[in-house]
Amino acid sequence: MSAISPHTKIAAILKEKPEALEVIIGISPHFNKLRNPLLRKLMASRASIQMASKLGGCRVEDFFEKLRPLGFEIDTLSTPKEREKETSRPSFMHDLHLLQVTELDVRPMVEGGHDPFKIITEKIKQLSLGRVLKLTNSFEPVPLIELLAKQGFESYVEHIDENCAVTYFNKAFEAPTQNEKVNHTDELTWGNTLHRFDGKLKYTDVRNMEMPLPMFTILEELTDLPDGQALFVYHKRIPVFLMPELQQRGFKYFIKEISESEVHLLIFHST
Amino acid sequence: MITAPGHITKTTTPRAVIPFYIYAGLCFLVATILLLFSSDAFQKHYFHPNILAITHLMAIGWGTMIIFGASHQLVPVIVEGKLFSEKLAYVTFGLAAVGIPLLVYGFFKFDMGIPAKWGGRLVVISILCYLINLGKTITKGKSKNVHAVFVFTGTVWLFLTAFFGLALVYNFTYPLMPHDSVHYLPLHVHAGVVGWFLLLVMGVGSRLIPMFLVSKYTNARLLWMIYGSINTTLISYVFIFYFVETKAWVILPGILLLLSIALFVMFCYKAYRFRIRKQIDVPMKVSLLSVLMMTMPIMLMFVIIFSVIVAAREKTSFIVAYGFMIFFGWITAIILGMTFKTLPFIVWNKVYHHQTFIGKAPNPKDLVHPLFLQLMTLCYITGFILFTTGILLTLSLLLQSGALLLLLTAISYNLNVFKIVTHRSAL
Repeated sequence: MSAISPHTKIAAILKEKPEALEVIIGISPHFNKLRNPLLRKLMASRASIQMASKLGGCRVEDFFEKLRPLGFEIDTLSTPKEREKETSRPSFMHDLHLLQVTELDVRPMVEGGHDPFKIITEKIKQLSLGRVLKLTNSFEPVPLIELLAKQGFESYVEHIDENCAVTYFNKAFEAPTQNEKVNHTDELTWGNTLHRFDGKLKYTDVRNMEMPLPMFTILEELTDLPDGQALFVYHKRIPVFLMPELQQRGFKYFIKEISESEVHLLIFHST
Repeated sequence: MITAPGHITKTTTPRAVIPFYIYAGLCFLVATILLLFSSDAFQKHYFHPNILAITHLMAIGWGTMIIFGASHQLVPVIVEGKLFSEKLAYVTFGLAAVGIPLLVYGFFKFDMGIPAKWGGRLVVISILCYLINLGKTITKGKSKNVHAVFVFTGTVWLFLTAFFGLALVYNFTYPLMPHDSVHYLPLHVHAGVVGWFLLLVMGVGSRLIPMFLVSKYTNARLLWMIYGSINTTLISYVFIFYFVETKAWVILPGILLLLSIALFVMFCYKAYRFRIRKQIDVPMKVSLLSVLMMTMPIMLMFVIIFSVIVAAREKTSFIVAYGFMIFFGWITAIILGMTFKTLPFIVWNKVYHHQTFIGKAPNPKDLVHPLFLQLMTLCYITGFILFTTGILLTLSLLLQSGALLLLLTAISYNLNVFKIVTHRSAL
């Protein structure tokens, strides 16, 4: 049985032990929604224990207590990190009457059995700076709030009643939304690739070298790189002039920009 | 050098670089259009309004502007630091962008009054801004090397050239100097060509050529020797110009210059021999071609010197061809080649930088349109040969067809630059 932490997705738990569904529903009446197969699909895959506990108005520990008897181990190493509770109204809520508000009620969609995620992201995309999206649905959309927070959206939730929550999204700053989306999936690819070469990595650090030595060092390291192995490079900038050389030599590369002065590269044979 | 953790070796913003490239490309285009309508002038004396206008468009608008742009990016990399001031880079651009058309218009209309004077003043101030920015960037950089010294000294020569050039413009209306401006023209030209362009191309080229060939060859001692001999060439030339009666002595700096270039060609040849990369791409071929093209005006220069010594008169068509070989030959070839080795990378960095992950992004070199590149190279080489032959044989037909091909070169160059700078993220 695998260990669970506050970051474990509900879907992962349900996949491992389908009977956990009833247990989770037992934690809070809010989780009754999980009985609906569509909502379950929607929520469970996006919400972690931590998000769900906020949604259900309970504690992360409640989950652990109820799930432990089912055989789940608790990963005590990752300490539960309470999501910062925004009890105070963000400043944009005070000027709401001045801002243009786009309203969207997804409750009929959800009841009709459709995933509202696409239409929400479309509305969000059309949202320009200083405009607000008022989203009405049957629960507090915690995963969506977290996703959009990364793209520069502030949010505020008003709980109308048990089956209605209104969330306001305000574009606080311009963030390249398209790129963010790419990054999201790319993070996965980066992780997967790194995982693929687990134990078969050669490391080199060229950060302290003067141009053009980094390029030579990398190319030299690559000359005797066995198939199935990868070279992990610590660099201080994206090596643009190296890229055509790599392509020409039949190498594939992934680049991860950590900061202005740190870049990680993963280079391997393209076959 | 040592990079402290968290130290930022920040690349220059593309905004301080790309405008220079675009502006330079347009100047080249205008120069080739003027060339097409000035084929008559090229059969006459070199001190002709059209030729003066075209030469300045080529020297400042085309050559200098692109070097300014590229070096805002390159010098910080060479000295392992960051550009001292981006604002100063914008000011450099703005002043030159206004000054160059005024100056060129002044020459074209042969109006040495307000347009030429204001144009000249703005260009001189622009160069001063660049010089300050460069000096500060180098002194703040962590690696002081021979390449940076080449670039800085070259810029000092450029400033002197421009300042002296402005004095020559004034000399038309106030008797500032004992002789007329035509008399001093060789001094102005050689300070610019040898002091600025040659030092700069060698300083930067000695870093870039081995890098693009993926060659480990380096020889700082040889480069310092070249540096010394070029500066000695110029200083001895100025000395002979002012203090020696017998002009035949210019053969001495001439030989010294030939020696410097021979050493540089040797440097490039060694870098070429010790290269790891076996295949050479088109931009690199054009750049290497330009190194060989350096030797053409030098050969012609000796022919001119000998004809002065033997026949005691200068052959005008040789001097016109000499200038043409420098600006449309050597300098243009190196820019045509190096643009497509630098600009795609600068734009790529702008478009794909800040994406924490890059796997599917296109390769920087794929930003260049291969067809335009081929067309440009082909038109350029034939156009250059036809026009040069046209000057030497004073044949209008050759001049016009050569000019037309050079115009096509400029068009395909600009189309490619446009394609690169308008590149949008393919992700």
